[in-house]
Amino acid sequence: MRIYTCSRNWDAMLTCIYEAWTSRLGQQNIRLELEPVEQYTLFNEYIHVDVNKGKADSVADAIVEKISSYVYYELTFCSMACEKDVLDNIYRVLILGFAYGPKVLEMVQFKDVMRNNEIRRRLGREVSRFTEAVRFQKVNDSFYVAHIEPKSNLVLALGRHFQDRMPSENWMIVDDVHLEAVVHPANEDFYLRLLSEIELEALKRTERTRDEYTDLWKVFFDTIAIKERINPKLQKNLFPLWARKHAVEFMD
Amino acid sequence: MYEIQPGPDLKEKLEILSDAAKYDVACTSSGVDRAGKEGFIGNSVSAGICHTFAADGRCISLLKVLMSNHCVYDCKYCKNRASNDIPRATFTPDELCSLTIEFYKRNYIEGLFLSSGVIKNPDYTMEKMCETLRLLRTKYRFNGYIHVKAIPGASGELLYSAGLLADRVSINMELPTQASLSALAPNKNMLNILNPMNRISGTIAAHRVAIGKEARLERAGINDHLVNSIFGKGSKVTKEAIAGAEHIGIETAGSQLPAINDTFMYPADRKDALLKRPFAPAGQSTQMIIGASGETDLELVRTSQELYKSFDLKRVFYSAYIPLNEDPALPALDTAVPMKREHRLYQADFLLRYYGFQADELLSADRPFFNDRVDPKCDWAVRHLGDFPVEVNTASYDALLRVPGIGPKGVMRIMSARKYSSVNFQMLKKMGIVLKRAQYFITCNGRMMFNIPMEERFILSQLADVEQTSERKLLIRNDDQNAQMDLFSDFNLTTGVV
Repeated sequence: MRIYTCSRNWDAMLTCIYEAWTSRLGQQNIRLELEPVEQYTLFNEYIHVDVNKGKADSVADAIVEKISSYVYYELTFCSMACEKDVLDNIYRVLILGFAYGPKVLEMVQFKDVMRNNEIRRRLGREVSRFTEAVRFQKVNDSFYVAHIEPKSNLVLALGRHFQDRMPSENWMIVDDVHLEAVVHPANEDFYLRLLSEIELEALKRTERTRDEYTDLWKVFFDTIAIKERINPKLQKNLFPLWARKHAVEFMD
Repeated sequence: MYEIQPGPDLKEKLEILSDAAKYDVACTSSGVDRAGKEGFIGNSVSAGICHTFAADGRCISLLKVLMSNHCVYDCKYCKNRASNDIPRATFTPDELCSLTIEFYKRNYIEGLFLSSGVIKNPDYTMEKMCETLRLLRTKYRFNGYIHVKAIPGASGELLYSAGLLADRVSINMELPTQASLSALAPNKNMLNILNPMNRISGTIAAHRVAIGKEARLERAGINDHLVNSIFGKGSKVTKEAIAGAEHIGIETAGSQLPAINDTFMYPADRKDALLKRPFAPAGQSTQMIIGASGETDLELVRTSQELYKSFDLKRVFYSAYIPLNEDPALPALDTAVPMKREHRLYQADFLLRYYGFQADELLSADRPFFNDRVDPKCDWAVRHLGDFPVEVNTASYDALLRVPGIGPKGVMRIMSARKYSSVNFQMLKKMGIVLKRAQYFITCNGRMMFNIPMEERFILSQLADVEQTSERKLLIRNDDQNAQMDLFSDFNLTTGVV
């Protein structure tokens, strides 16, 4: 089996799909994987694919023209997911898409489409989980920084949400795991910035900023719970520990 | 020398007033989609966003506080009643606004939930609340979600202003009958609650019609497919509500509402930005206390259904009564909080709003309370085994939605999948159907998942949600399903001399 690998980046993924598609080895003899590959196998051939803008664009055009722009949008969204098989699955869904057209995402009798929908749902839940759990710290007069540790690369989706919510504030959401951040200057569009380790270290200091309102929030958080109904299991169920690492109300 | 006692600072005020507000249950931020605007802060998402979960597992979505916990009323069940000796505080409008804005900017909350004890009189209180909301919307340029409690007895103009400033308006019904209201809340009466509720629902409808929407609020899409839904074509049209209909539907109200032939007045000289805002776009809600007075579940569910149908309420909330005050008319202080009952009522409430059930299907006069062991839907299904099993590949929306373990999303997924191929159990599992419950009630292509006897007692014992393992073991040991079959008692054969 030949395994095409590429970095986690939509253009690289599309190029990888292009290479796999044009290899003419038969679909069952190909697999696509995202780098870093955790465990190389002995009898498979690994081929690294670099970004090629032209090839990526031609795949993108083909998807929009021959399937639909909706499917294209859904697949780009799915590509943010942390699942290991996400790229291979996108490829399989595309094969079906080119055969069956724009309705492919409804055809859940195919296990690849079903898997795609599963990934989409989980990712959707994770994105809304972090729209809830992002906590900004006021760093100086008019600048807010938030840190998150999500499983998937979802800062872009968060950027869109907060752009609409606080269009006239300066803010930034830092993904501590994937080393990327969305930065939003007041009254302008937000942009994605890849961070270096040094920058991240500097940014991590903002986490410790405390002011009057963080204290007030903790007071509110503690008093609003009804003592007669205390239920830590339910609380953990609804707000799991992995998601609340940066939530002020749970920090000391 | 006199030493002047300083008033409580902001932190103490917040502590007192959020502590006083925590028994209000409606902490949802749902019902309205509104995009953000440059120069303003905030937007609103119709699905609602819960920012965190408190130690009791309830979501925190809004900054839920009272404007003041001074109160001239003396409702027996309430912590803030006039006769209680507790620390009292009042927020100034500016304090509340800056709290809301600063919390909102840090993404702690989704908006403000503002209620209040009655300071001096209802009008004065409502005026203070409106002043705060106006300040928040204008000076502080807040565009997020606001839920405001209407004070029963406040004047129409003030309620109208509150509705224009807020997204959701609610009036707490607290107790569903006039009798229990006069027993526990001597300063309130049913008409004082139903009247403003009626006017608000009429005004919401009028505003909706004026901007080209349907008079009734949008409901979950699944209701369009259901024949029996309480929001279906058969339910009352709000044209009547606009005209101030005779909503005598609340059977328990005991008295008739006077006909109100106008909605709130539009003050002609009001030329401010308020008029551009829709009136309570996220609708109206209410809450009822469970377990403080002697109502049955049937009465409560019927009341909710009537509220949904005639007042077009968006939600009815239920609050398990927590004994706070000692009074001969109330349950004793050590009474357990009826959380299970509250849970069952919420389940039934969702069955009304999303599943096309009617109150009288779930309960009846001879069974006026919900089953403790299984949820209302399973309970209904087990009592109607004649309607099952349902064939997943051909059944209608109504039939599928009545299967325990299949919800509105599941039905939509099944319907979409059915267009392209036949559905099997493996696909159902992947679609998120809860086969643990559904397996007893469905077939795929004519086959059930396992060879299951369609027998009420067997299925009921399988469905019973016994969480404690010890309890479960006990149940298995004692349950008749493991007992030897007895022809006479199992099939109700009477022994007699032949």
